Amino acid sequence: MVGEFEYLILSAAAHLGEEAYGAAMREVIETIGGRTCSLGALYITLDRLEAKGLVETWLSAPTQQRGGRAKRMVKVTGDGAREARRFYETVIRISRGTAWGEGRHDRLPEDAA
Amino acid sequence: MKGEMGGGGMRWRLVEAAAGLLAPLEREVVLGDLAETDCSVWRGLGDVLSLAVRRQLALWKGWRPWAASIGLALPASLFLMGWSVAASGAVASLLGQPAQLRALGLSLSRLFLVTCWAWMAGFVVASVSRGTLWASVLACCGPCLHCLSLWPGHGLSCLRLLVFLLPGLWGVWRERQGLRLGQSLAVFLAAAGALAFLLSGKGGWMYSSSLLWPGLYLTAMAKREPG
Repeated sequence: MVGEFEYLILSAAAHLGEEAYGAAMREVIETIGGRTCSLGALYITLDRLEAKGLVETWLSAPTQQRGGRAKRMVKVTGDGAREARRFYETVIRISRGTAWGEGRHDRLPEDAA
Repeated sequence: MKGEMGGGGMRWRLVEAAAGLLAPLEREVVLGDLAETDCSVWRGLGDVLSLAVRRQLALWKGWRPWAASIGLALPASLFLMGWSVAASGAVASLLGQPAQLRALGLSLSRLFLVTCWAWMAGFVVASVSRGTLWASVLACCGPCLHCLSLWPGHGLSCLRLLVFLLPGLWGVWRERQGLRLGQSLAVFLAAAGALAFLLSGKGGWMYSSSLLWPGLYLTAMAKREPG
């Protein structure tokens, strides 16, 4: 099963569709995911995902917006989508019945303290 | 970072210089990503350095950097330093005595073997682990600098001690230029390496045989990827 950060990258790439590449994925992870993401972590994890066959990457044509530099485009493969769904369903299943699970509005222990 | 890139700011140049640690294609991609975002130069620098460090760490998880630096550059440096001093010293002393032509020929052939072996070692070091060449250079230069600091002015001139460095660097350079060795040249170098160890007779068979692997590696590579 994929790890948490790998799942975030797969989800960011799926969100962006054909516009998925390094800088855009980092922005999605930081704005929607609410966590900082270094390009180092992003590209190393992308390499790992590509080695597992969960994403495909290729270089785009250089663009003026980037000072004439290419983008590393990303596409989630069928296996990648299946692994992401597996992670998602596992998180949903394991969270059922917990104080933070879906449909529960209990106060968390830290809130009570 | 957009504005600073457009204005060619000095701090952007710092990021570009740090990006030199990355492979050319990845450098372009990362600099492009930074060029279109609004992150600070320091964050951009952190991004580039963190990627470079992670790439290096990933390389060291494999056997290649260890084989190139600890398995070859370090023992080769120790072995070749001794041989360079002995062979070049013998040639220098014999040059003044032209009557001993046979001894001179023997010393010159030993020097030739040192040169061949050093070239082969440099070539194999660069071929086995190009991304960690810096570590192999450190492993090679460490013993040299140590010896020079131990025996300053005791007849061990830098030139004599480092005779092997030039062919070694030449071998590294040729590999980086993309040279692929033919099978006959690889076999010749492997044979020269084996002969060098047979003639040396120092350091024990384990030490010597551990240094035979570059020749075997070259021969195997030449057989797998002809010409």
